[in-house]
Amino acid sequence: MSAPGRRRAGLVARNVGVPILSLVLVLVLWQLIVVGFHVASYVAPRPREAILSVTQNWSLLWPLVLGTIRETVYGFVVGAALGFFLGVIMAKVPFLQGLVYPVLVLSQAIPIIALAAPLVLILGFSTAPKIVIVAWIVFFPVTVNVIDGLSHVDRDLLNLAKVYGASRWRTFWQIEIPATSTPLFSGLKIGATYAVTGAIIGELAASDGSSLALYQEHANSNLNTAAVYGTTMVMTAIGISWFLLVVGVEVFATPWRRRTVARRWPWRRDRDDVAQ
Amino acid sequence: MTEPLLSLREVAKTFGETVALAPTTLTIDEGSFVAIVGPSGCGKSTLFNVIAGLLTPDGGDVLLRDRPVTGSTGHVGYMLQKDLLVPWRTVEDNITMAKRLTGRVTAEDRAEARRMARAYGLGEFLRHYPSALSGGMRQRVAFMRTLMTHQSLLLLDEPFGALDAQTRLEMQQWLLQVWRDAQRTVLFITHDVDESIFLADRVVVMSPRPGRVVADFTSPLARPRTLDMLTEGHFIELKGRVMHLLHGGAT
Ligand SMILES: Nc1ncnc2c1ncn2[C@@H]1O[C@H](COP(=O)(O)OP(=O)(O)O)[C@@H](O)[C@H]1O
Ligand SMILES: [Mg+2]
Repeated sequence: MSAPGRRRAGLVARNVGVPILSLVLVLVLWQLIVVGFHVASYVAPRPREAILSVTQNWSLLWPLVLGTIRETVYGFVVGAALGFFLGVIMAKVPFLQGLVYPVLVLSQAIPIIALAAPLVLILGFSTAPKIVIVAWIVFFPVTVNVIDGLSHVDRDLLNLAKVYGASRWRTFWQIEIPATSTPLFSGLKIGATYAVTGAIIGELAASDGSSLALYQEHANSNLNTAAVYGTTMVMTAIGISWFLLVVGVEVFATPWRRRTVARRWPWRRDRDDVAQ
Repeated sequence: MTEPLLSLREVAKTFGETVALAPTTLTIDEGSFVAIVGPSGCGKSTLFNVIAGLLTPDGGDVLLRDRPVTGSTGHVGYMLQKDLLVPWRTVEDNITMAKRLTGRVTAEDRAEARRMARAYGLGEFLRHYPSALSGGMRQRVAFMRTLMTHQSLLLLDEPFGALDAQTRLEMQQWLLQVWRDAQRTVLFITHDVDESIFLADRVVVMSPRPGRVVADFTSPLARPRTLDMLTEGHFIELKGRVMHLLHGGAT
């Protein structure tokens, strides 16, 4: 293996291996506590039982999981797009920023649970209120970070673009947006972590029958402790997967943060390079 | 080569109470290399910002080939002590930045950028991101980006000010080589008197605030410039006169 190849393998081991190790540690700790303190099985199951409750009921759970994923993804996309748009508008129009910012802060002070009831009244028992709740949670960190990023772009760089005769539109897409990528992705990652929480709250408050949240409630009232814990694990897994996906997009979209040399795309080969 | 490319007529700029630039008149010939030296805060960068169109002067005109360009942008190449390379673009894409911001980067632009980078010592780094480059290399990329604006007039505001003495000397020789090939007109701000005399055809000296032109010397050195000229009698003599103006006799 070449030296960069070895370094890359080391990086992968650290970025994938360490989180898996910490996950295993959590399960081991859980097992030790339940066994060591003789915790009753109706209070907490052993990890194995919780996992089995998921795998054995997978055909029942899968459509519910899909539903939660759908709410999370749609809500996230709507919230992120709205958050980005609001952030740009507010950064560009200081008057609007003064006007809208307090309203946005107010929107986040409303307890989400208290938001669910009126949303159901307005939108009915459907996917819509859940998407709205997720978007409600996701847009805020995106907006705040985009405003912050756009207002910290190097003034000298903007002046340079101006001296070259660049239009505001070009300057925005070629300079301001890439320069804002770090805070933008911070906002998206914060949003991604909370998106599933929003979806589950929405399911609790606005479900018409079948959903992951109601499945858990049902298990709880049946004293099926293993299924209660198992469902929590599934919800957590959805949240982590979505977060990791956003991180993956970030890694892909910002190669200059880790690389010294740009990737070579097969569809963007420059003939001149081959000749050289 | 004695067509006036740039004419400043009585341009002045005041910020509130501060007179940054007293009425200044200056003519720059096409193809020449003119250095501007002056104490810190005397209005050198303000003068550049007026020429570039970032600032509108309180009075006076900026003429480029007899065409008034006062207060408008898009007619000069411009480079600062900060290289202002964008970290998300490769060296090649940074060099072609001006076209990306104002038009369309064509295959010819790319080829030209690569040719230039290879000719002037950056061929190995075309696909690198700027974070992988040293300070001197970054300034080379920034200068090539400035050349790729295809403007006749290049404004360089202390471009080597942040480099160590050794690198700066290398960069000065490099710049002269590129300038000779590129045939552009250069206005070069520096506070390094040696640098101004070594590089330029003309050395314009500015006074402390409010800044104005107090002397305009013609460099006695022949071209091409070589390092041993730095210890020549002509060089030392002119250096003494400039230092006298800048520091009031403390040479
Ligand atoms: N945008 C500005 N607003 C207020 N004062 C400024 C501004 N730009 C420059 N000045 C002042 O004008 C004077 C000249 O500045 P500058 O042209 O940057 O000097 P130099 O480049 O010669 O060091 C300084 O006193 C500086 O503080
Ligand atoms: Mg300055």
